[in-house]
Parts: sequence; structure tokens; C-alpha cells
Amino acid sequence: MLRRLGILIVVLGMTFNWTPTADAQAGDAPDSSEYLIKAGFIYNFAKFVEWPSAAFSQPDSPIVIGVLGTDPFGNVLDRLVQDKKIGQRGFVVRRYKWGKDLKDMKDLRDCKILFISASEKAHTDEIIQIVKWLPILTVGETPGFAERGGVIRFTLEDNRVRFEVNVDAAHQADLNISSRLLTLAKIIPQAAAGRNPG
Amino acid sequence: MILQNLSIKRKLTLITMLTSSIALILSSVSFLVYDLVSFRHLLSQDLMTQAQIIGYNSAGAMEFKDEPAASATLSALTAKEDIVTAALYKPDGKIFAHYSRGKAAVPTFLPSPLQIKGYRFEGGYLEVFQEVTLNGEHVGMLFLQSDMRQWNMRAKRYANILLIFVLISGLFALFVSSKLQGLISKPILHLEDTMRMVSSNKNYAVRAVKKYSDEIGRLIDGFNTMLSEIQQRDTVLQSTNGELKTRTQELEEEVFQRKQAQEELSKAKHAAEEANRAKSTFLANMSHELRTPLNAIIGYSEMLEEETRESGKIENVQDLKKIQAAGKHLLALINDVLDLSKIEAGKMGLHLETFDVPQVIEEMVTTLQPAAAKNANSIHVRVAENVSTMKADITKVRQILFNLLSNACKFTDHGTISVDVDQIKVAESDWIQFQVRDTGIGISARQKENLFHEFAQADSSIARKYGGTGLGLAITHRFVQLMKGQIGVESEPGKGAVFTVQLPTHIVPEPIEPAPPEEASEAPAKPSETKTNLDTILVIDDDSSVRDLMSRFLTKLDFRVVAAANGEEGIRLAKEIRPLLITLDVVMPECDGWTVLNRLKSDTELAKIPVIMVTIMDNEARGMDLGASNYLIKPVERDRLAVLVEKHRVARSPSIKDADSVPLSYVGEGQAGRKTAETRVSRTRRN
Repeated sequence: MLRRLGILIVVLGMTFNWTPTADAQAGDAPDSSEYLIKAGFIYNFAKFVEWPSAAFSQPDSPIVIGVLGTDPFGNVLDRLVQDKKIGQRGFVVRRYKWGKDLKDMKDLRDCKILFISASEKAHTDEIIQIVKWLPILTVGETPGFAERGGVIRFTLEDNRVRFEVNVDAAHQADLNISSRLLTLAKIIPQAAAGRNPG
Repeated sequence: MILQNLSIKRKLTLITMLTSSIALILSSVSFLVYDLVSFRHLLSQDLMTQAQIIGYNSAGAMEFKDEPAASATLSALTAKEDIVTAALYKPDGKIFAHYSRGKAAVPTFLPSPLQIKGYRFEGGYLEVFQEVTLNGEHVGMLFLQSDMRQWNMRAKRYANILLIFVLISGLFALFVSSKLQGLISKPILHLEDTMRMVSSNKNYAVRAVKKYSDEIGRLIDGFNTMLSEIQQRDTVLQSTNGELKTRTQELEEEVFQRKQAQEELSKAKHAAEEANRAKSTFLANMSHELRTPLNAIIGYSEMLEEETRESGKIENVQDLKKIQAAGKHLLALINDVLDLSKIEAGKMGLHLETFDVPQVIEEMVTTLQPAAAKNANSIHVRVAENVSTMKADITKVRQILFNLLSNACKFTDHGTISVDVDQIKVAESDWIQFQVRDTGIGISARQKENLFHEFAQADSSIARKYGGTGLGLAITHRFVQLMKGQIGVESEPGKGAVFTVQLPTHIVPEPIEPAPPEEASEAPAKPSETKTNLDTILVIDDDSSVRDLMSRFLTKLDFRVVAAANGEEGIRLAKEIRPLLITLDVVMPECDGWTVLNRLKSDTELAKIPVIMVTIMDNEARGMDLGASNYLIKPVERDRLAVLVEKHRVARSPSIKDADSVPLSYVGEGQAGRKTAETRVSRTRRN
């Protein structure tokens, strides 16, 4: 209870961009507060990551954020990014389901950031295998996600949201992650798991 | 004030040092300021770059609210010693992360001048505000504060260097200027020394030494020129002084000599005056001493002649006449000499009166008729009708005519002497011209030259043949000059001579010589006192022969004669007997004639008694002034005396006293001056 209240205060006090959302979510479940922050992080990641220019068909093509599996954000993520722009690009949130959606490579081709929900824990390796050659920033939260070949994984440390980055995975996906982001992250080396497709 | 009184050495040094130091300090300071300013700018740029880097690096941490990461980034500033504080502020101004060195305080909120982007200097600190952005989005603010340690150190170091530099260069400037000021100050000091030497020692031979040809060199040249000028003048002055001294001595000697000469001159003058006085006295004595015996000779010889003729001894009469003639000649000579000496002494004055010219001519001719007859000459007189009166000294006019006429008679034998008198006009003034013409022996041209000079007769033989003193024409000439007239002569030897005298009709009297007062002659005309003895005549004379002659002569004329031998006695007798008239001599011992006359005339009772002066002294003017009635000069012609006393007797006679109170002198004298004429005519001359 105390921990969550502290996070809330931190969120309310420090991120004015998120304030409206935070106010709206003040009465929601504690998990939603955590994901409020994580949504903000996802948005921020976009600022520090450079995609290859070929990844976008148009200069003003939106950055598509995909949520795979059970959506922990609710409408928080949508609301957060709906008016935001980086350069000329806006944001679009899409939701994907394991199965037919992922098999269709066409769908994933527009996706630039893919959040893989904890509900898809069983398919993690498969998913990574599918997208690892695509310019997609994969974000997960299951333990060992980065080691297995995911680019960024959220962690909780002293009730604070932090993240790990697999730089090799980012390179594999042809993504350029700003050093400024890396200084804030825990760098995870590519594990055998990553190299072992599974 | 103190500065101005410094010596020129110090001044020059000071000026050089001040100038160089000021220039040095100004340039150094400006360089320093420029350097410090640009260094500060550099510092600020440096700090701003740093801020940009830190801001860039902090953007992620800011964005992810990762405060430890931000703090870690700021901690990198530990290496930068000058940065005191660093802080990151969130867009709302609240502090996000901070760093500080030591105990420096970090402002909790972003410092106020948020709008300033860049840097500022405040309170000795350099402050930089750097915006933290992420993809052009404002995510926060970075604040850096530097204490400008390097800058301060640099400034201090520079100040020290500057100080040392200025000190060293100042010393160097002092050294150089103290060496170089000698260029200017040395010649001036030298000049000053020379001047002091000149003024204290008065040594004008000293010269200042010229080293350079600058203004001071010219000054020294000018000073030297002035000195040599002064020296030259000094030398001249000294020599002039010497000359002056010598000259003064000479002058003093000269003055002394002149004084001596003056004294000698004065002595000589005294001696001369003494001699002159002696001469005058001698002459006066001479005339007196000579005339007195002559009086006796002539008087007694006349008496003797009369008595001899009465007694019938005719043969002796001729001898007596010769004695008379010789006496008279001697008398004439003496008179001439005296006249001449008087003229030369300037003592001969004019007694001007108006008289009738024709009458005088007639008298003169009558007087000289016997002389003319002696050489069988005839005299013709022609007086022009317009000739009437003239104003002149009648005595001298008479003498002039007498001399000319007697000369003419003397040098002409069996001839004619003509007298022409005309009134002529020369140069607007009237003149009377007398011409005396004779048919005598004449005068040669050579003789004419000396004719009017003293003692110069035509020939010495003439004196023997014709007699005379040779003074007649000289005296005539002097008299004519005295009356401002002219005298001339035309003659040829053997053909006679013409003497022409021109005299002004009216001679202007000279103020010094007063005309004889006319009223003097009135005295005898006054009615006499009842007590008066009308038949008594008082004779006052110290000469017993004169008293004897006078009493004998007057007794013959029926007068009672009382004689007095001196003045005192004469006055006493006059008071006692109240005579009809008094004859008075002048030259007497003790109380002289003038004194007696004066006392007689100042006595109211005696003043009426007429006084006839009978004297050798030829000073008629004085006698007339003192109140004498008549003036006779010895030897007295007895006829004149007889006429005079007779006239007085008639005038004072009681029977006619009331009827005729007119002064005797004026009777029959419409033409003035008869009395003197008569007196002087008695002085017959035979020269």
C-alpha cells in the first residue's frame, strides 16, 4: 500500500506530461499506476531510439506501438500517446494476439515498438525468433526476457521502475539506442538462450 | 608648490619618470583589462560548453526521473575546481539534482532570472543557465556557478607581474633619465655657476663653456656676448673714470690757478682803481693848483693894467697885456686838457635847453670879431629864415662854433670867413647845419686823416707859427658826437677849408642827465627881507687873493664887501648881515662850497639870498641843482660879474620890487640860457 502510494506521488510530481492520465487513474487498481509509469517509459524510449529510415514508408508515418497478449495498460497508453509527436511522427497503438496475428508478417511490419505482455510468457522465444531481424524495439517484463533476445525489459528495484537493455539484440534489430538511455539502463549481455532459438 | 621649487635635475628626472611610468601603467592596465575581460569571456564560454555537455547528458536522467543518474552526471564536475555548485531543475522550477563543493549552498528553486539564457556575473560568481532539451523538447534547466578561481588567480598574478614590471621599469627609467637629464641640466647648472661667479666676484672675464648647439647653447652664447659687452663697458668705464679723475685734478688745478689769477686781477684792479683815483685827484688838484695862481696872475695883471693906464704909464700897459694873454692861453690849455680828460672818462654830460640859434650866432660873431680883425679878415653871416630855435647843450654848441670860427680866423690872412646856418631834413628828422668857410691855407689830404685826433695839428711847425694846443678840433669832434651829430671837412691846401657840422634840432635827453632846473634862477627874484643889506655882497673863498680881487672890484661898483675865508664863517656872516647876494667858491678845506650852498638853501631865511658860484670846478649842473643863481668859472671875467651883480641889485631894489617881480633870469631871455652863455663866453680861447 505504502509502496504504491510512493510511486503515485513520484508519478504525479515529476511527470507533468502524464498528469491528466495520472489524475484519471488515481482511483484505479495499483497495477495500473505501475503501468502508467511503464507507458511513459515506452513513450520515452521512442525518443532515444533511432529506427532505420527504411522502416518508415513516409516521413510522417506514425510510430506504431503494438501490445501483444493481455493488455495491462488499459487505455492509459492510448491516451498518453494520442497527442504526442516526435518530429513529424505521431503514435498509433495496436493490439495483437498470439496465433494468426503474429503469423502474418505483414501486420508486424508497421510495428515499431512491441510490448510483449507477461501473458505471452510461454511464447516468448518464438516471438523473439519471429521479430528479431525486424526493426522492432521489443519490450517485455518477464524475467530473462533480455537475456533471451528481447531488447528492453522492465524491472522493479526498490519500488522503482527500471529497465535492462540487450544492446546486441538492438543491433540485431538494426536499432540505434542513444547512449543517454543506456546510461540509465542495466546492460544485459546476449545469453545462450538468445542464441538458441526456441 | 614643492614640485616647482625642485632643482631642474630633479624636475627633469621626475618628469621623465612620471611620463614613462604613466605610459607604462596605462598600457599595461589596458592590456590587463583586455586580457582579463577576454579571459572572462573565454571562461564563460568554457563554462557554457560544459553546461551544454552536462545538460545533454542529463536529459535522459531528467526524462526518466532518474535522480541518482543525474547526480552522478553532476558529480563529474568534481574535476572542475572552480565550479562551486551545479543543479538541475525541473521545468516547474523545482530542484531535481544538485552538486556542490564544500559547504556551498544550492538554491532549492531555480534562481529568478529565468529568462536569461547564457551567463551572468553576480557577486563574484560566474553563473550559467543551460536549458536541457530532448528532441527540441524542454525537459529542465541546468544551473552552474563558478567562483572564477582561475580568473581571480590570473588577475592576481597579472597584478603582481604588473607591479614588478612597473617597479623594474621605473627603476630603469630613473637610471636612464638621471643619466640623460644631464644633457639639459648640466649646461644650465654650469651657466648658473658662471653667473654666480660673475655676480659675486665681479669678474667679467669669466665665460660659460658651450657644449651643444641647442637652445641652451644659444643661451650660453648670448650670455657670453652680454658678458663681453659688459666687460668692454667696464673697461671703458674704468678708463673713463681714470680720465675723469685726472681731468678733475686738472680742473681743480685750473680752478686754483684761476683763483690765483683772479686774486691777482683783483689786486691789479684795485691798483688800477687806486691809480685812476690818484689820477683824478691829481687832475682835480692840478686844475685847482694851476688855476689858482693863474687867477691871481690874470686878475692882478688886469688890475695893474687899469691902474697903470690911469696913472699914464702907457709903456707898461703893453707888457701887462702880454702877461694877461700868456695867462689866458695857459688857462685855455688847462681847460682843454681837462675837458678832454672828462670826455674820455665819460663824465661829460649834456645840459639840454632850448635856445635861439640866430642870437647865438650873432653873439659868437661879435665875440670873435676882434680875433678876425687881428688877421684883417671879414666875417659874413647868413642864417636861413627857417632857422629859429634848437634844443641842445648851448655851451657845447657855442664851443663848437667858437673853435671852428677861431680856427678859421687863425689860419686865414686878409681873407673872408663866412658862416652859413640852415635847417635841413635828413631821414624824416630836422637838423641844423652850420658851415664855416674860410679862404686860408687849407688842409692837405694827409692832414685830414688826423684832423680830429687829439694833439694832432697839421704840422708841428704850425704850433710854433700859429700857437694852440691842437685839442680844439678833437674836442669839437667829441662834442658833436656827444650830441649825435656829424662833422666833416672839405679842403685843399692853399684853397681854404669848409667845416660842416650837423646837429639834431631836438636832441633827445638822456635820462641820466637831468636838465638844469629852471627854478633855481628864480631864487634871486624873491622879494627880499626888510633886514637885507642891499648894498652888501658876501664873498666866500679860501683864497685870499680872490677875496682881495673880488672886494677891490666890487667896491669899485659901489658895493660893500664882506669876505669869509671858510664855509662856516660864510654861513654865520650870511645870517648876520643878510647880504644882497653871495659869491661862493667850491673847493675849500673842511666845509666845501656844495655843503655851504646846501645849508644856505635849506635855511628858510637865507634861501632867498641869490648865490653866484665862482669856482674852478666845472660842474654847473650840480650848482644849479643845489639852487645857485649863476655859475661863473674862474678866472672871472669882470664885465660878466659886473652885469650880474648889477641885475641882482636892480631886481632886489625896494623901489621897483613891487612893480617887477618877474625873475631876473628871464628878463630879456625869451631865448633860454643867456646867463650860461654869458658865463662861458668869458672863456676866450686862443688856440
